[in-house]
Formats: sequence, C-alpha cells, structure tokens
Amino acid sequence: MKRQTNTSPAFPRLTRMSKTIAALMTLVLSAGIMCSCTPGNNGQDATTAAKSIYGGDIVLGITQEPKIFDPHTAVAAGDKEILFNIFEGLVKCTSDGDFVPALATEYSISEDAMTYSFTIRQNVLFHSGESMTSDDVVYSLKRAAGLDTGTPLVAAFAGIASVEKSGADQVIVTLKSPDAELIPFFTTAIIPDDVEDIGKTPVGTGPFVFESYTSGQSVVLTKNAKYWQSDLPYLDKVTFKITADMDAAFIELKSGTIDIFPYLTNDKAQQITDKYNIVSGGTNMVQIFALNNAVEPFNNPLVREAMNYAVDRDTVITQITEGYGSRLVTGMSPAMGDYYDTSLDGSFAYNIEKAKDLLAQAGYPDGFTTSVTVPSNYVIHVNTAVVLAEQLKKVGITLDIKSVDWATWLSDVYTGRNFDSTVIALTSEYSPRDVLSRYVSTSESNFINFSDPSFDEIYAQIAVASDEAQRVELYHQLLAILVKDSASVYLQDPSNIVAVKKDLTGYVVYPIYVQDLSTVHYS
Amino acid sequence: MKYVLKKVVQLVITLFLVSLITFAAFSVIPGDPARIMLGISATQSQVALLRTQLGLDHALVYQYFHWLSGACTGDLGTSVSLGDPVSSLIGQRLPVTLSLGLIALILTLLLSFPLGLISAQRPGKTLDHIISVISHSFASLPPFVLGLLLTFVLGFTFHLFAAGNYVPYQSDVFGFIGCLLVPSLAIAIPKIAMSVKFIRSSILVEKEKEYVRTAQSHGLTDREVLIRHIMPNALVPVLTMLAIITSDILGGSLIVEQTFNLPGLGRLLLQAISSRDFPLLEGIVLYLAALIVLVNFFMDIAYSRVDPRIRLQ
Repeated sequence: MKRQTNTSPAFPRLTRMSKTIAALMTLVLSAGIMCSCTPGNNGQDATTAAKSIYGGDIVLGITQEPKIFDPHTAVAAGDKEILFNIFEGLVKCTSDGDFVPALATEYSISEDAMTYSFTIRQNVLFHSGESMTSDDVVYSLKRAAGLDTGTPLVAAFAGIASVEKSGADQVIVTLKSPDAELIPFFTTAIIPDDVEDIGKTPVGTGPFVFESYTSGQSVVLTKNAKYWQSDLPYLDKVTFKITADMDAAFIELKSGTIDIFPYLTNDKAQQITDKYNIVSGGTNMVQIFALNNAVEPFNNPLVREAMNYAVDRDTVITQITEGYGSRLVTGMSPAMGDYYDTSLDGSFAYNIEKAKDLLAQAGYPDGFTTSVTVPSNYVIHVNTAVVLAEQLKKVGITLDIKSVDWATWLSDVYTGRNFDSTVIALTSEYSPRDVLSRYVSTSESNFINFSDPSFDEIYAQIAVASDEAQRVELYHQLLAILVKDSASVYLQDPSNIVAVKKDLTGYVVYPIYVQDLSTVHYS
Repeated sequence: MKYVLKKVVQLVITLFLVSLITFAAFSVIPGDPARIMLGISATQSQVALLRTQLGLDHALVYQYFHWLSGACTGDLGTSVSLGDPVSSLIGQRLPVTLSLGLIALILTLLLSFPLGLISAQRPGKTLDHIISVISHSFASLPPFVLGLLLTFVLGFTFHLFAAGNYVPYQSDVFGFIGCLLVPSLAIAIPKIAMSVKFIRSSILVEKEKEYVRTAQSHGLTDREVLIRHIMPNALVPVLTMLAIITSDILGGSLIVEQTFNLPGLGRLLLQAISSRDFPLLEGIVLYLAALIVLVNFFMDIAYSRVDPRIRLQ
C-alpha cells in the first residue's frame, strides 16, 4: 500500500468516496504498468540455455502486410522476401548474385539456347513429409509457365514451349525461341503437385516451414528439421512482425522487441547502435527521378539532359541516405557486376551553367513549371522530391510536389502514365534483362514512355546471343543509350540498411529483395 | 417497446445511408486492388488474372449491390486483400478496439470525477488553479502526440513498459490489458481534461441554485449537499458530454492503434482503404456506425434513469 501514500499528497482534500476511487485508480494504473513491463525476451533464454549456436527465436520487423503466399502468383517484393525462406527453385541466388544449383544438382543449356536440362536433387522432402520428385518439378514449371491455362504466372516463362520428364531425375525445358538468359528465373518455386490451394497451405522445401499468418500481426515460420542442407537453418522459429509503419517499427527497435529490421533510414539506424549492429549493402534497386518522355517539356531530349546536369546527385545521396547509396547515371545498379558499365560513371557531373545553356537551347531560357507526383507512403521518395525541387530552383525550374497514396500512384502514374515526373525505386530480379526490359518502347512497364529504335534493336539481339561476353557488351550499349538520350534522371542505388541485434550473427544482405534467415544464428 | 422498435428502424436506415455514402466515396478514388497486391513488377496479364480470381472484373456498382444483398442476410463478404471472411477479420480486431475504448472510458470516469469535484469544492483556490492549468494544456493535445510523449517518457526514459509490444488476449488476458493501458491513457488524458472542466462548471452552476441554500438551512453538511443534491442534478449535462466523449474515444482509439502498433479495427480500416478493399471497408464502416448508434441509444436510456423527468418516447 506504499503506492497509495505516494500519490495521496496530490489529493489533499478528497472526500472519503473519491479517496477510495483514487486509491482504486492508482492500484489499477500501477498494476497495469507492472503487467505491461514484459518486453519480448525472444531468444534471451536461447543464448543461456543452448550452448550450441543452434536454436532460438527471432522477430524480424516488416512494414507491409503480406498479401499473397502462392509463390507463383506473388510478385510484390514484400511477399517474396518472406517466401524466400519457405520455397526454393531449381537454382538459388546467392548473396554475391550468383545462381547456384538448389533443387537441381546441375543444369545445362543447349548450344542453340533452346533447351534447358536439369538433374533433380534426390532425397529432398517437402514440409508435408513427401519426397520431391521430377513430377513435382514438371507440375510446378508448367503451372508457372501457364502451359495448361495459357496465362503464364511467371512473366519470364512466357517463352517456354514444353516441360518434360526424361528418365527418373531429368527435366527438360524447351523454349519457343532461343533465350540464353533464363537461369535467374528458375528460382521459381517447386511445389507439390497435389496441393489444392498453395496460397492457403504454403508447402515448400525451404529452410523454414510456414506455421501461421495473422493479419495485422505476424507471419510465423518454424525450423524445417529435415532440410536438405542438413546444417541449416540455425533458428527454431522466425516471426515476421507486421508494424504499422517505419515510425511504429522504430519505437519497437528502441525498446528492443524486434531483432532484425531491414530498410531502415540511416538517421534512425544511428540512434540504436547501443543494441544493434548496422549492416548495409547494395540492393540492386534503381531510384529514379522519372520524367515522362511523352509530355511537354520532357519530350524534348535537351530538357531531360539539362535536368541531368541540374541535379546534384551527391547532395541527394548525402541528404537522403546519408552517404549510403551508390550514384547512378543510368538504369542499372553497380550491384549487377559485369553487366554494369563503370565507364559511364563520370557522366552528368553537376554543372548548373551547362544545364542553363541546354534549357536555353531547348527554348526555356527562364525555366518552366512542372509537377512531381510521389507516393506518400515512401518517405524516402517524398524527401528526395523535396531536395530535387530545391536544386532545380537554381535553373529556374519550379517543381510542384504532389503527394498521393500508393494505390493512386499505381493507377495514375504507373499504369495510367498520367504524370509529369515522379520519384520511385525500381526493383527487379537479379537479371540484367529484367532490369532493362522496361525501356523497350512497347513494354507495358515502360511507364516513362521512353522510345529509341536502336535500344529496341539491341535488346532483341541479346536473347539470341549465346556468348556471355557478347551479351555483356550489348548490355553496356543499352546503358549508354539511356545516358545518351537522358531517358530520365537516375539518382542512386539506395543501400539497404539493416539493424541486427548484437547477439545475432550470420545475417547477409542480398542484391535482391529477400531476407535469408537460414544462416542467422545466436553467437 | 415502441421506442425500441423506432430505434431499430433508425439504426437500419442509418446503416444503409452510411454504406451508400461509403460506396459513393469509394467509387471516386482511383486504385486497383489487384495491382496493389502485386506491386509494380507485375505484368498486365498477371494483374488481369488476379482480378478475375478475386471477382474484381465486375463494375463497382455490381460489387456494391452484391455486397448489400449479402449484408442483408448477415454475410459481409470476403476481404479482397486478406482472403478471409470480413466478419471473422472484424471479430479478431474488434476486441482490441473495444477494450482500448472501454479502458479509456473507465480511466476518464475514474479520474475526471474526483478532479472535477476537488476543483469545484474550492473554486479559485490554488488546487483549483493547478488542476485547471493542467487541464487546459492537456485538453488540446491530440492522442497520437500524447502517445508518442508517453512512449518516450514511460517507455524509454523510465522503462515502465515495452512500446509496441502486443499480447493477444487469447494467450494472456492481464498482459493484454497491460499493453493497452498506456495507449488508453493517451486517449483518455485529453478527455479527462475536458471532463474535469465540464464537471467543475456544471457543479458550480448547480451550487448557485436555491435548493442548495434550502438543503444547507436544513443542517446538511457541505459534503452531504454536494453528493446528495448537487451531484444528481449536475449529472444530466455531464451525461450529454459523456455521450460525445464516448464516440470521440472510439475515434481516438482508431488513431492510437497506429502509433502503438495494436492490431485493432483502426489499423484494419486504414489497410482496407490503402488496399482498396471494398467489402472490408464497407464491413468496418458498418460496424463502427452501428457502435456509435448503440452508444447513443444507451445514453438515452441513461438519461431517463438519471432524470425521471425525461421519458423515452
């Protein structure tokens, strides 16, 4: 009853009745606060109880609601990063961007790039306990390619003509036309051929087993004890906790109820270094100040070139990602390795005078007024637009910032192409083709309405070029065209900054949008 | 009986109008649920396929009447973005929002009456001034700002609670109530501040009335006069204010859920809007409207109990 005397000086003239109320109230309050001071102690017991590095639970924070658990239908990055732990394909992407055999032990591509042959790994079990067979592989690839329905679920598989079993452990994929670059898409999940609705019962072969999904709260995965890589995974349980937004997540990080949080901004990351290690890496994302090439004044290449000189990318990177981020001048991130052309790096050095000259040549000596439509849920893009507006003022360009919600952005800007300019980050598979396909003039994802016949021509040559060195050269030419035409103002590859609890090790940042939790363990 | 029947008819009409307004507002905002689910990497054919699967290829008017006919039979349909029945989704979230609102209401009642009484007992004295200054400053703070303040003070500085920690009521009822306490405090504080001022002035008005002098001349003590005579009379206007505050508290809890990361109806509502999930949105709006109407209905009954002169008609 000590608490009661503590508070009573605040109520010196209470009637007896209200004194009782006050006492009750104090009790309720203090009891509640005591009840609520039970912060999540996930894994704490694991480190003390288990001597080995195996075992323990972690909580990983995500800010978007997972939507689709069918691995062939899911396209959104936020869904794929979770599914990566449940499902696997014939090949798997490593953190270095290599594609290594996974459910296939080896593969070969025919000389004419028309057939892909896979040797299926034996003794792999689905989470249901059934063995994975070549029948499951045939079923999965056919389903993804839409061979029975006519509508491919995985867009890149539209060129597949047939998928057939050959012998006990061989699967042969035949294409309609030559394509030497399909391997990155064989990461497509292999699922059992007898599951009615894979979206409701996500059964795969991955290191973690789907346990539950509660909307607004979490997705829970548990360890796959029969995983074919017998030394993985380490953790017993992984909870993807859904937080309302980055601010709500940050509050949880401050109080330590989340163990891993990806896609953090640097200013927030610097405030939690007492509890977390900060890991970062290139994400293969392209943050673009996209100019609609079909509307005035951006239909004039001189204007687009002027914009490229008027934007000080280094300042954008310093102000938006505090220096974490690679400067971009063209539509591909350096994270793509050889396919990226480092000789373009020096292009578009910040030069206001040159920008003014180019604007004068284009017929806008005094600049112009235009708008930038940004998705309000992506703080990074809204902030970037603010910095850009400030920078463009110096050459007389007034940028009106229109902030819209994501749904509106998708239908007005992305699908409707009804905009002047926008800021967005483009994600793609770890495939140079996937990165650059959107600039083909007829591509439905070409939302900036870029059009250059020489680009289309070279792009078409790549599919039939079977020599890797030749393809790299062709990709370099495509990147150079994007610079020459000033397709848009490419800004940066904004690094993925991840907060990882200090007692956890083994977290690796991938050049694609996934969370690989199989290698994470308590130290 | 006639009164209850009249209220039920009113409820049905209100709900129908609310659903119609929601439909009208929804039909003018742009956005495609299938595209939102798939993101920008999806091709048009992938989006088209999903639209067909979700039954979104019908016009919105058709979707509305389809939903409405279902709703009349008690079936609120299936959420487009989450794939579960709307009523079960609401069923999961409603306890969080209701508990949050209820705790906030209890806190408001428990704290505002004693404080209002103290203020009114000796108006103009130091204690009254202190309470009134504090009330004035807290009355103007919106719940989400208070939420952040409380998180920083109680959570980070004094480590009294783990911010953002949510315990489902199914697993631990006390833990559940515990994690709702600070959020409800964030909703309750501005309401307490408002109520204190209201209760104070309401008592002061009654204090000037002649029946008080009569009671005093009968030899009753100040406290007896206050509790037996002034309080019952002061309660009528206070009840009116409580009805308004209850609706406010419900609205406040929708916002606070976002700040404290609680899986309540408010976050579901935001999600329904941002994912353009029509059946889910209609379902939630219907529930909220029904709740408000019910609160007012119970307040009407409470009036007639407190003041026998008021009859339900």
